[in-house]
Amino acid sequence: MDAEKTLRISQVGLRGVVGAGLTAAHVLDFAAAFGTFLDRPGRVIVGRDPRASGIMMREGVIAALLACGHDVIDLGIASTPVIQHTIRRQNAAGGISIGASHNAVEWNALKFFGPNGTYLSTAEAGELLDIYHLKKFDFVEWDRLGHLSTDERALDAYLDQLARVFDLEPLEHFRVLVDCTNGTSAPILRRMAERFGLNLILINERMEGVTFAHEPATNRKMVALQLAPLMRHVNADAGVLFDIDSDRVALATERGEALSEELVLPLLADDFLARGPGKLLITNLSTTALLEEIAARHGGQVVRVPVGRQATIDALAGYKPEQIAIAGEGTGAVMMPQFRFIYDGIASMLAILSILDRRRLKLSDLVESYPRFSMIKGELPLETKRMPQMLLDLEKRYPDARRNVVDGLRLDWASRWIHVRVSQTEPIVRVICEQRGTPPTALYDEVCDFVRGYAA
Amino acid sequence: MSRAHQLKIGVSGIRGVIGGFLTPNLATAFAQAFGSYVGPGRVVLGRDTRTSGEMIEHAVTCGLLAVGCEVVKVGILPTPTIQVYVAETRARGGIAITASHNPPEYNALKLFNAEGLFFNHYERGELIDLYHQSNFRQAPNDEIRRVVMDTESAPSRHIARVLKHVDVERIRRQQFHVALDSVNGAGSVMSVRFLEEDLKCKLDAISVDPTKPFPREAEPKPETLGDLRGLVMRKSAQIGFAQDPDGDRLAICDETGTILDNDDVLALAVDCVLRRLPGPVVVNLTTSAAIDDIAAAHGCQVYRAPVGEANVVERMKAVSAVIGGEGSNGGIIFPSVQYCRDSYLGMAMILDRMAETGRSISELAARLPRYYRKFGKAPFEHGRLGGMMQELEAAFPNAQVDRSDGLKLLLDEGWIHVRASNTEPILRIAAEARTPESLAALDARLSATLR
Repeated sequence: MDAEKTLRISQVGLRGVVGAGLTAAHVLDFAAAFGTFLDRPGRVIVGRDPRASGIMMREGVIAALLACGHDVIDLGIASTPVIQHTIRRQNAAGGISIGASHNAVEWNALKFFGPNGTYLSTAEAGELLDIYHLKKFDFVEWDRLGHLSTDERALDAYLDQLARVFDLEPLEHFRVLVDCTNGTSAPILRRMAERFGLNLILINERMEGVTFAHEPATNRKMVALQLAPLMRHVNADAGVLFDIDSDRVALATERGEALSEELVLPLLADDFLARGPGKLLITNLSTTALLEEIAARHGGQVVRVPVGRQATIDALAGYKPEQIAIAGEGTGAVMMPQFRFIYDGIASMLAILSILDRRRLKLSDLVESYPRFSMIKGELPLETKRMPQMLLDLEKRYPDARRNVVDGLRLDWASRWIHVRVSQTEPIVRVICEQRGTPPTALYDEVCDFVRGYAA
Repeated sequence: MSRAHQLKIGVSGIRGVIGGFLTPNLATAFAQAFGSYVGPGRVVLGRDTRTSGEMIEHAVTCGLLAVGCEVVKVGILPTPTIQVYVAETRARGGIAITASHNPPEYNALKLFNAEGLFFNHYERGELIDLYHQSNFRQAPNDEIRRVVMDTESAPSRHIARVLKHVDVERIRRQQFHVALDSVNGAGSVMSVRFLEEDLKCKLDAISVDPTKPFPREAEPKPETLGDLRGLVMRKSAQIGFAQDPDGDRLAICDETGTILDNDDVLALAVDCVLRRLPGPVVVNLTTSAAIDDIAAAHGCQVYRAPVGEANVVERMKAVSAVIGGEGSNGGIIFPSVQYCRDSYLGMAMILDRMAETGRSISELAARLPRYYRKFGKAPFEHGRLGGMMQELEAAFPNAQVDRSDGLKLLLDEGWIHVRASNTEPILRIAAEARTPESLAALDARLSATLR
């Protein structure tokens, strides 16, 4: 792999392939920049996913934070939501999650959290990036260095919090098949089953550093391949697929149908809006229009922001927490107000189960109670310099559509929409197209051909 | 500290003041160079008790893992113990995180090859080139190895090696009353165990808490060992031992409360070894001529090496020396245990000699050839060093000249050694003579010339 192309340093943090772009020096510099960015010395929570390169990165992160005078609480292998939860519980200055989430095993990344356990805002992340580039770090003198400790209570305290928000006892009668993808969800779920008597059947539960049982993606294709075929054999009520850092899920029904990853947010949004009518639902421009219908039922409103975690984080900061019912994206990543808006796959799983319990429904019945929307997603290569003209021309090509140019171009009609956006990391165009009812194949193909016309 | 070197990266490794100078980033990069040099395999990592040890340990571990090495952490241990462990476990190499006798704000990396030895001159050059080229090996995810902990076995391995060379029963029978000052350093726990359990001494120890800061200046020398002296007197101990933070240097207080001259400690050790195992001796250029007298008495040859443990060890290997060391700084090197400065070997050997002869430590020291020494230092300006050395040579026209490390002038009445420090812009000056009068005369001529 080409070294330059595997390293991404941006406001989202540091990401790359270890051994081909992402080096120990990047880790030290970024962690030192974060240690400098945190304006008061204080505790910093650190955890990693099971990737082998995380062993190396953890050492560098700890060294840099101690050198900046921060006490480090190391959670070892821990999910991102557990890290975020512990930051709040320990009243820490911030946290770092070492892990590449849904990326392939050879990738790794650093994600940074502020004192509330939430991702840094774009402004904060920009400041962090500036310090990283300046490489002027505030290393403290020998007698003010930080100390390293652990927190044996982290997992149980996180589970306590889940048990406060969800009534777990009625969920005991559900049989749930969970594919942990060899990631951080396994120890959490095992402990949860042990403490609260949940009936969870775990597969791919061994945390692996070098080989994951399958691609760590939470989407319908992966559910269909890995999880759905097993559902009838184990007679489970629901199937849940986790990514490596346990912040996203995808679902399979008791009948063995693989659900679109787009459905997780609408199912939860309906429930949260029902209990908080009139509130806001924050999502991105590429996520299903089913959300607008659901919001309308409860007098709520959908706030659409550009794609990417950062835009969602910034949008959340613009409202009071009590104004927001839920936030999330079509990738299966959902944030709930009870968890102070952190993406949490395990909370999403419990929320789905508790809907099934309260409404006395099978998962397939619940899904069928919603109107059907069909989405097609794809990507096309295009030279970066050709993109602006293509987008301008595309807008003219469909004068009857309502347009939104906040992130690429989104065109809306009464029962369908198409979103054409430019990747931030590769010279490609992503096309997302959705229609109420049958798949919008004709529109999707037409737009793809239009884009291909600029590739020549 | 205008030009005192707060960061030094050179052929002897990396050393500097924690904070703005010796950063974790530099330690990681240096560990990457080291790991790239020794290759993917096991590397032993230990440290002394400095507050920055933990931070640097993580940085070094990061660098070693990044190049595909497996890291064996042995925890807080004396440097010689780490070196023995490297040699015994057939690791690719080892790193001790310690600034030895430097003040607590410093830290450094001591680097060892597969035999647990300092790299030789050529290897050190290669390693520093590798560091500057910064083209380190990059292990992909599936080649990242583990961190293994072994904090138990190393002290036993080292102590077993030391005890093979003394009559343990003879020492134990004496139930020596011993005082100890480990400066709360890496030897704190192991030295108590060694003296109390292995050698059955009656021990009075101070500064043996590795979690506490250094209570005195780190270098064990007469000016800094007042507490040990007091302890020896108060408890009527037969001998007092003092270590530096990484347990390689040894200083001795006799039963009268006098701190022995470092050269005399080495001379005692050389005498002990040559009695049983005659052979070549290697010492540095600043070490006392008493060594020559002792070696001559046993019919053995003395070789001189430039100052620095690595230089002495390199020479010792070349001439198959049976004992060596640096009188100037309290280092005894006994290759049958390991080619390294070893305070444990020193303690065992001196106690064994006391048991064998029935003499007190002050009596043993009094029987050594008597010389008078003076050590000093003087600042110099860059560009003036060559001229100063030439003037010195001219001032002593009858001297035999050795230019292998600074300038050493051998005269009938004694010798003078002048060399530039590796770490500070100063000249280190040493002079030795047979009588106080001739030492004073030498010193006067020397001062006049340097002025």
